[in-house]
Amino acid sequence: MQTLADILIQKIFGVSPQGWFWTGTCYLVVIVLFCLVLLIFAALFAGITSWVERRIAARMMSRVGPNRVGPQGFLQWLADGLKLFLKEDIIPSGADWPLYRMAPYFVFAGMFGTFVALPFGASLVAADLNVGIYYLLAVTAFVIVGIIMGGWSSNNKWALFGGIRSAAQLVSYEIPSGLTVLVVVLLTGSLSTQEIIKAQGGLPWDWFIFHSPFTVAAFFIFVTAALAEGNRTPFDLPEAESELVAGYATEYSGFRFVVFFFAEWANLWVMSALMVILFLGGWRIPFVSVEATTSTWWLIALSFVIFCVKTLVMVFFVIHIRWTLPRLRIDQMMKMCWTYLVPAALVCILGTMVWMGIADWQTIPGRAMRGLMFLIAAFVALKWLARVRYTYMSDRDLYQKMDGRPLWYPPWRLP
Amino acid sequence: MSAVSHYIGNIWTAATSFFEGLSVTMSWMFRRPMTIQYPDKIDKPIDQQLPERYRGFLEVDIRYCIGCSACMRACPIDCIRMEVAKHPESGTRMLTRFDIDVSKCMFCGLCTEVCPTGCLHHTKLFEGTNAHIENLVLRYVDVPVEPFKMKKGEENPIDRSGNIARSRLKDFFAPAPPEFQGSRQGDLTG
Amino acid sequence: MENPKDPRILELHVPQAPAVPGEMLVNMGAQHPATHGVLNFLMVTDGEVIHKAIPNCGYLHRGMEKIAEMTPYPAYMPYTDRIDYLGAMFANQGYAMAVEKILGIEVPRRAEYCRVIACELNRIASHLIATGCSAMDLGAFTPFTHWLRERETINDLTEELCGARLTYNYMRIGGVSADLPEGFSDRVLRFLDHFKPVITEFDRLISLNKIFMERLVNLVPISTEEAMDWGLVGPNLRASGVEVDLRKHPGYSVYGDFDFQVITGRGFKGQIGDSYDRYYVRVLEMYESCKILRQALEKMPDGPIMAEVPKKLKPEKNEAYARVESVRGEMGYYVISDGTDKPYRLKVKTGSFPAMAMMEKASEGVMVADVVALISAFDLIAPEIDR
Repeated sequence: MQTLADILIQKIFGVSPQGWFWTGTCYLVVIVLFCLVLLIFAALFAGITSWVERRIAARMMSRVGPNRVGPQGFLQWLADGLKLFLKEDIIPSGADWPLYRMAPYFVFAGMFGTFVALPFGASLVAADLNVGIYYLLAVTAFVIVGIIMGGWSSNNKWALFGGIRSAAQLVSYEIPSGLTVLVVVLLTGSLSTQEIIKAQGGLPWDWFIFHSPFTVAAFFIFVTAALAEGNRTPFDLPEAESELVAGYATEYSGFRFVVFFFAEWANLWVMSALMVILFLGGWRIPFVSVEATTSTWWLIALSFVIFCVKTLVMVFFVIHIRWTLPRLRIDQMMKMCWTYLVPAALVCILGTMVWMGIADWQTIPGRAMRGLMFLIAAFVALKWLARVRYTYMSDRDLYQKMDGRPLWYPPWRLP
Repeated sequence: MSAVSHYIGNIWTAATSFFEGLSVTMSWMFRRPMTIQYPDKIDKPIDQQLPERYRGFLEVDIRYCIGCSACMRACPIDCIRMEVAKHPESGTRMLTRFDIDVSKCMFCGLCTEVCPTGCLHHTKLFEGTNAHIENLVLRYVDVPVEPFKMKKGEENPIDRSGNIARSRLKDFFAPAPPEFQGSRQGDLTG
Repeated sequence: MENPKDPRILELHVPQAPAVPGEMLVNMGAQHPATHGVLNFLMVTDGEVIHKAIPNCGYLHRGMEKIAEMTPYPAYMPYTDRIDYLGAMFANQGYAMAVEKILGIEVPRRAEYCRVIACELNRIASHLIATGCSAMDLGAFTPFTHWLRERETINDLTEELCGARLTYNYMRIGGVSADLPEGFSDRVLRFLDHFKPVITEFDRLISLNKIFMERLVNLVPISTEEAMDWGLVGPNLRASGVEVDLRKHPGYSVYGDFDFQVITGRGFKGQIGDSYDRYYVRVLEMYESCKILRQALEKMPDGPIMAEVPKKLKPEKNEAYARVESVRGEMGYYVISDGTDKPYRLKVKTGSFPAMAMMEKASEGVMVADVVALISAFDLIAPEIDR
């Protein structure tokens, strides 16, 4: 980030900031500016994703979703946010005052601290740490502290249930998360996020996910662990609406509630971005080398766009999973983590090491394996699309006979 | 060995069932949502879309009421109040009052079945919200009228369009009737 | 009988502190997001595992049986709708059958066929809610809304038939209130054609989902003897393997004319009588109801829809008990008449009541998240329990 700050100051003021006596202040201003930009990005993303999720969820459920506030309901999230800001700030009597007030900010810090190490594009990263991935995994652990504090300090047995369940879940799922990250680190040789992306290629069969069957398995283990870390269905028992009204956030109202849910939505971005960085090639552009990408500004912009598109596809996948699957019970969740995910992740590490020993990345057997994995994945994806079409066609004519109107109503047709 | 096959079997069932489930929800993204966006985006007015037998607000075409009060006796919750009095001078029977308390009515339709002429019938109206609950008493007799002389077997041209009830339903912000002004209900929205 | 000095017996009006340290007394309150009405459970739990869960009903008590003593016989029909608002046709039919028994009236065949059609449509509608709520309580909101969409079509059909979508008031003492409208048979058949593949799709979405099966399979298997001891009825009893269906033995109305199976649980994915059986029996019963509907629409006879019933019903001193196979089991009406136009006593026996009582035994040793799954697998609804 220092280089980025230097470039910026050079461009704006025309002089190099080295050697000024107020260099420190300049850098501080630039840091604050970057954080503001990231905060605005996270806030916008959280708000807009809540609208997008509600519309997508509604179409999956044969409904319409919010469409009255603003064009197609686009300002719904602003209205919700404004309403929550204006709500009365209630602190339950008997609640542990300092902890109650601090809890949402811990959760927020745990989520927002990850934004600084996410590479949004070719040289667009707020802090190019050489322990990037390690830092990301460590910062997300703040969320656990915040949730326990929130659950305990609410002076409410149901909130306590939610908090403790969530703590157990988050701590347990850190392990498979870390182990699958280890698979990727093995392949790269570095912990830095930019290095991990540079080690992959732009084309799908150059991504880490298709390196060997073990990395495919590692990808799915990572997806599961990331969903559990983000408290998303099928792992959202801590905030299960059918049992505990909002889990650890039951007693919160107004601005603090906003912070909790802001953290959850923005965490969607972080978890999807991690999936993309580690396994799906990050911002790499097909057919363009790393040096070319980092030198021209429009390629940097293109890399930003590619990163965002890939992350949004993964966000859609996470939303799709949420509105399809029921939730796991806490003991089933624990059992799955410790008996299925952790051993599988260890096997993946072993397998990747073995495969790396047998066939290097660019040799013929390595390429053949990557091509084979890609073909299998494409085949499964096509089979899935055929299944979607079959499901749709099995009802189309009968619905039209019953209702009189055609069943076809694609998602781009807004009601 | 069976433990291992059980283990692998679990993973395989999970994967295939998620595959199926995700395909079903994705197919719903391409289907017509069943929401009727009432009242903004409906193609016909809602009372033309409701079926014939719909049980909405009650309406009486007072020209054809014979004053038998069978409806009052049939109602399970006493929401119809009908009074027949003798004219002070001529001594004939006159209908002085026919009030239906729509806030109490449970729209069961028992009263419409026992009406001999069919002048008491359901309309297709259901939009009658009001700020004062006293405004939900629909009064169908303004001046005392003579009851109808029914001839057996004759079809009576009863107005079933719902216009009579519409004219009696008050606007949302209409003030409470004068006999209730000053009570707590009447003071709430002035 | 348990020892009354056992400190773990909680008195409902004075919740005592739990005896064992580490236990909490938690209230799964009357207002709860799990949509089964106002049910209350007092639970003694150590955080996740429940040691005792005492059902506490009465939050939806409306005095239905007392109201019957003040309402003339024909005027009580709308009240029976509200005793079980998800299966209102059955409640109507039970009451009508009890009073018809006292009066000795025989219902015309066409009216019986209309009753069967209305009842089976209502059975499908109510099972849609029951199975949908099972899914929703476990976290999958999508299948519930798909089922609500199908239920909308059924609601529209009943709206054409009798004028209301939930509280039908369709049956009368001696028959039904209105004949089938024009084109009704066509519309019902088209709906049934559309509905059959949708049940398969629902199965693919949720019934065969691994997580759903993990949550419900082998959850509180109830054996045949236990189910009969505790007085369970309806799909709960059939799921435990007992082949009891009032439509077959002893049979009532014109169900003898139709060919359909009685679905019993046979351990579809686990033990016989577990929660998955109770859930899946309902899904399969929907297929059977579709069969019955098709046969009824085909074989519909002509004739009057209402028997000759005196205008003012004043039955002599008599009593009768009539039962119907309602959605949640056997619904029985016991009417005592005393010569006036109002009953002397009306007692309603519903199917959710024993299931609610069974919850206390069934929820020992399960986790808090399972209580919600159990409530929806037993298909308890508050209006039936409290009346």
